[in-house]
Amino acid sequence: MSADGSAVAWAAQVLGATKIYGSGEAAVRALDGVTVGFERGRFTAIMGPSGSGKSTLVQCAACLDRLTAGQVIIGDVDATGLDEKRLTRLRRDRIGFIFQQFNLLPTLTARENIAFPSDLAGRRPDQAWFDHVVDAVGLRDRLDHRPSELSGGQQQRVAVARALVERPDVIVADEPTGNLDSVSSNEILDFLSRATTEFGQSVVMVTHDPVAAARADRVVFLADGRIVDDVVAPTREQLLARMGTLAR
Amino acid sequence: MLHFTLRNLRAYAPRFLATALAVIVGIGFMAAGLMLTGAMKSALLGSVDRQYAAVDAAVLSFIEFEGLSPGVAPEALEIIERTPGVAAAAGELTAPVRVLGDDGESRTSRTVGRAWIEDPGLSPLEIIDGTAPGDGVVLDRRTAADLGVEIGESLTLATPIGRVTRPLVGLSEFDGADSIDDGGTVSFAPADALAVLATEARGWDAVLVRGEPDSPDLLSRLAGELDSAYRVITGETLRDERQAVTAGVVDVLRPVLNGFAWVALFVAGFVIANTFAIVVAQRRRELALVRAIGGTPGQVQRALLAEGLAVGVVASALGIVTGALVSTGVVVAVDRLGYRLPGAGLSVTPLLVIGCLLAGTIVTTLAVLAPAIRAGRTRPVEAMREGAVDRSGTSSVRAVIGGILLGLGIMVLLGVQVLDWPVWMLGPGALSLFGGVVVGGPLLARGFARLMQPVAQRAGLTARLAVDNTVRNPRRTATTANALVIGLFLVTVVTTSGEAFKTWATDQLDALSASDFIVASSGAPIADDVTSAIDEVPGVRRTAPVRTTLVVGNTAGEVPVSGADVEALRETTGLEVVAGSLDDVIAGSAAAVVDFSTLTLGGIGDSEGSANSGDPGAGSPFGEGAGVGDNVELVLPDGTVRTLPVAATLRARIDSLTLGVLVSTATLEDLVGPQPVNLVYVRTDADAADSVGVELDRIVRDFTGIEVVPGNVFGQIVGQVLDFLIAAVNALLGVSIIVALVGIVNTTTLSIHERRSELGVVRALGTTRGQVGRMVVGESVLVAVLGTALGVGCGVFVGWVLIGTLGDGAVPFTLNAVRVGSIIAAGVLVGVIASIFPARRAVRIDVLDAIRAV
Repeated sequence: MSADGSAVAWAAQVLGATKIYGSGEAAVRALDGVTVGFERGRFTAIMGPSGSGKSTLVQCAACLDRLTAGQVIIGDVDATGLDEKRLTRLRRDRIGFIFQQFNLLPTLTARENIAFPSDLAGRRPDQAWFDHVVDAVGLRDRLDHRPSELSGGQQQRVAVARALVERPDVIVADEPTGNLDSVSSNEILDFLSRATTEFGQSVVMVTHDPVAAARADRVVFLADGRIVDDVVAPTREQLLARMGTLAR
Repeated sequence: MLHFTLRNLRAYAPRFLATALAVIVGIGFMAAGLMLTGAMKSALLGSVDRQYAAVDAAVLSFIEFEGLSPGVAPEALEIIERTPGVAAAAGELTAPVRVLGDDGESRTSRTVGRAWIEDPGLSPLEIIDGTAPGDGVVLDRRTAADLGVEIGESLTLATPIGRVTRPLVGLSEFDGADSIDDGGTVSFAPADALAVLATEARGWDAVLVRGEPDSPDLLSRLAGELDSAYRVITGETLRDERQAVTAGVVDVLRPVLNGFAWVALFVAGFVIANTFAIVVAQRRRELALVRAIGGTPGQVQRALLAEGLAVGVVASALGIVTGALVSTGVVVAVDRLGYRLPGAGLSVTPLLVIGCLLAGTIVTTLAVLAPAIRAGRTRPVEAMREGAVDRSGTSSVRAVIGGILLGLGIMVLLGVQVLDWPVWMLGPGALSLFGGVVVGGPLLARGFARLMQPVAQRAGLTARLAVDNTVRNPRRTATTANALVIGLFLVTVVTTSGEAFKTWATDQLDALSASDFIVASSGAPIADDVTSAIDEVPGVRRTAPVRTTLVVGNTAGEVPVSGADVEALRETTGLEVVAGSLDDVIAGSAAAVVDFSTLTLGGIGDSEGSANSGDPGAGSPFGEGAGVGDNVELVLPDGTVRTLPVAATLRARIDSLTLGVLVSTATLEDLVGPQPVNLVYVRTDADAADSVGVELDRIVRDFTGIEVVPGNVFGQIVGQVLDFLIAAVNALLGVSIIVALVGIVNTTTLSIHERRSELGVVRALGTTRGQVGRMVVGESVLVAVLGTALGVGCGVFVGWVLIGTLGDGAVPFTLNAVRVGSIIAAGVLVGVIASIFPARRAVRIDVLDAIRAV
C-alpha cells in the first residue's frame, strides 16, 4: 500500500529495516530504520557512497541476510521469521540474483547455470520461456560453454538469463556492471531495462555509477543507513549532482 | 543436482585425487593382503586335496603332539597291506634334508626328504624323467634345475642320520607343479627312507591306504587288524586335518594383515576429512552462490556427500587394482629371492572386491560427513563478499570437551598405573586420551605454535612466517598432525612396551637356564654317532642325553615322559629337587615330576613360562597337586596302564620344563621300549664354551633337524621373536604413516594454492625463492613435529602404563633412547619429505600472475 492509499503492486517491501553488525562498542548500524517499497514492473536503482548501507539493504531485501529489526515482504510473502529452509525456497522461487563477480558455477556450462535454480527445485525449466530468454540475451550459440570460456559481458548475460528464467517477483542486482567495460555494461543495462518493459519483471539494482543508475525508472539514495532521497525518472546530470552533495 | 556433482568431480579431479590417494593406499594394502593370503590358502588347501586325492583311509599313531609321535611301526604296514579290501598301502615319511655342495655347505634350505610311494594311485608325485628312487634318489624338477644337477650325478645329502651319498636317478613333479614342498623334495625309496629319514623305532609318519572298490567296511576291518595304539581315519578326515594344519598359518596371518589395513584406513579417514575440508573451503564462494540462488543446506550437503561417495568408490576400485599390482610385485620379488610362496597367483573373489569397495567407500563417506555438514552451513551472503582464506578457528566447546577427554584419559591411565585400577580401564583410558588429542587438537596446535614462536623469532623471518601460517588455521594443522599421531602413537607403544618386555623377559629366561649347550632335534631323533661324538669333544665335562616320548596321562592329554641318566642330568642342567629325593628315580622304581607352582617368572605365573618354552606339559596333566607320595598313571601305546610313585618334584626351570615325567633310561625302555635320543644337555669346562660351540656345530653340520643351541637360547629366541614382532608390526604400521605423509602433502599443497596471491605479494616485495621454499618446508616440518611430539608422547605414556600392568609392576619400564629417537627422527623426516612437492610449487609461482589473480 502506498502512502496516499492507492493500490500499488509491490514486488518487494522493506519496512523499518535496521541491521547492526557486531556488538558493544564495535557495533555498526548499517541500516537505521529504512522503509522502502519496490514497485512491480519497474527498474529501481539504489545509490549511495561507500558505507551508506546500500549493499546491506539489497542483501537483506533479497533474503540473503537477516535484519536485526524490521520486515521484508517479497510479493505477498512476509519473509520475516521464516526458517532457513523456507527462506531458501523463497529465494529460489521468487528472487533472481545478479552479482558483480563470481556469478556462475565454474564447473557448469552456460545452459546448466541458467537451469540451475529449476534444477535445485527439482523441476524442468519451461522450454519455450527458456528459449525466449536465451534469445533475448543473445546466448544461443554459447550455451555449451563453461564460464571460463566466456567474456565478462557474456558471463553477466548468463547471470541475467538465470535470473529471468525463473520469472521471480524481483531481480536483485548488486553492481552488475562493476567489472565490465562500457559496451558490455550498456548491454546488461539494456537487458535489465527490457526485462521490466518487455517481460514485466521488477529489478532492484545497487550501483555507484550515475550512468547506470540513469537507466533506472527510479533512484533511491542512501547515506549512513538512511534513505535521503528518492528520484523518479532521473537524468544523469541530476544523479551526478546528488551524488556530489552526498559525498560532501 | 546430480550433474552438478558429476561436473564438480570432473572439474576438481586433481584435487579429489589428493583425497583419493589416502584411500588408495589403505585399500591397496587391504586388498593385497587378502589376495595374497587368499591365494596362499586356496593353494595350500588345494595341494592337500591333490596330494591325498586317492587316499581312502589312513592309519596314524594315536599319540601325536607337535611333531613328537611314536609313528606307525613298519610291521603295522605289513598288517595293513594284508588286510582284505586294501588295494594298496604306503608309508608316508618326511624329514628335513639338505643337498650339500662339494665344500660341505648347504645348497638348499627347506628341502624335504620323502619316502617314495610306489603305488601310482596313492603317490602324489610323478616321475617325468629317469626312474623311481630305488638305490638312488629323485629330485623335484625345479630343485634339480636350480642346482644344475643331472640324472646320474651323485648327490651329497645332510640327513637326520648324517651325511649320505646317493645317485640322482629321476626327476619328479607334483600334479603339474614342481613340488609339494615349498623348498623342494628329495624322494627316497621306502626302505631307504626308513633308514635315512627315521630310525626303525620311529616308523612311518602315517600309512596311506587305497581301498578296493566297494569296500565300505574298510575302516572297521583295519581297526580290527591293528592294536589300539593306532588311529584309523577316512581319507576325508586326513585331508581335513592336514588342511587345518597348513591353512592355520593363513588363518592367523589374514586377520592380522586386515587389522593393520583398518588402522591405515582409519588414518586415511583423517586425511580425507582434512583434504576434503580444504577443497570445500576453497569452493566456499561457489557454495554460497548455490545457497544464494536457492540451494538448501541439505542440497549442498548431499551434493558434497555424493562427491565424497564417488571419490570413495573410485578410490577403492583403484585401491583394489593397486593391491593386485602390489601382490603381483610381492610374488615376483619373493620368487626372485629364491623362495616360493604357496600359490604364486592372486585370488580375487567377488567377496573381496565388494568388501574392499564397501570399506573404502564407507570410510570416505564418513570422513566427508563433517566437512559436508559444515559446508551446508555456508551463509549465502558470502557469495557477495571477497573470498578469503579459511580461518575457521577453535571454539570454546571444543576446548572444554577436548580438555575433559584429555584429563580423563590421563587420570584413568595414571589410576591404572599408580593406584592399581583394573587393567581393563587401560583401553578406555587410552581411547579417551586419544579422543582428547583429536578434539583438542586445534588448541594443542595453537599452544604448540605459541611455544615455537620465540624460537622462530630468533631463527629469522621465514621461520616466523612458517609458524604463523600453522596457527592461521589451527584446526587444519591439528587434523593433519593427527593423521601422523595415530601411526606414531601405535609405533611408539609397540616399540617401548615391546622393548621393555623383551629386556625383562630375556633377563628372566637367562637366569633360568643352567646347561651351556643343548643339542636339540626338531622331530628327527639324534643319532648315536652324534651323542658319542659330543662326548669326545675336548672341553666337554659331562653330557646328558635325554629320550622323550609321549604317552597318555591319567587325566586327559598326552604327557611327555623322559628317560635320562639322572645324575648326568643333574650335573649338566642344575636339576633342583623341591621335595623328595631322586634316589628312587635313579634306582628305577619311581618318577620325578616338575612342580609347576615353582614356575614364577617374576610374578607372571606359568602362562608365560609355557609360552616361552613351548612346553607340552605346562597344563600339568596330573593336576596342580601331584606331589611326592602321589602316583602317576601312564597309558602305554599298547594300552596297558602303568603306575609309578612320585619320588621327587623338580623346580621348574627352562631345562626341566620339557622333561614332563622324568624316569631313568632303563625305566623308560621298560615302559615303552627303546627310544631315540632327542636332546643332549652339555656342560663344558669353565672357559671352553666357545671352542666347544664351534666343535658341536661342526659335528651336527651333516645332520638335518639337529641344532646346537646355547644354554641361553630361550632368552635369545624370545628376544629375536619379540624383535621380529616389533619390527613386523612397525613395518605394517608404516603404511599408516605413509597415508599420514600423503595428508601432509595434501594440506600443504592446497594451502599453498589457497595463498597463491599472498605468496605472490611476498615474492613481489623481495622475498627470494629460497626463502619461500624454506618457509613451506618449515610449515610442513612444524606439522610433523607437532604430530610426532603428540604421538610419541602419548605412546611412551601408554607404553609405560601398559608395562606397569604386566605382573603387577614386576616388569621394569626401560626406555630405549635410540629407538624412541629414531621414531622421532622418522616423524620429522616425514615432514621434510612431505614438503618437497608443495615447496617446489610455492617456489614456482609466477609473481605477476599470482598478484593479478585476486
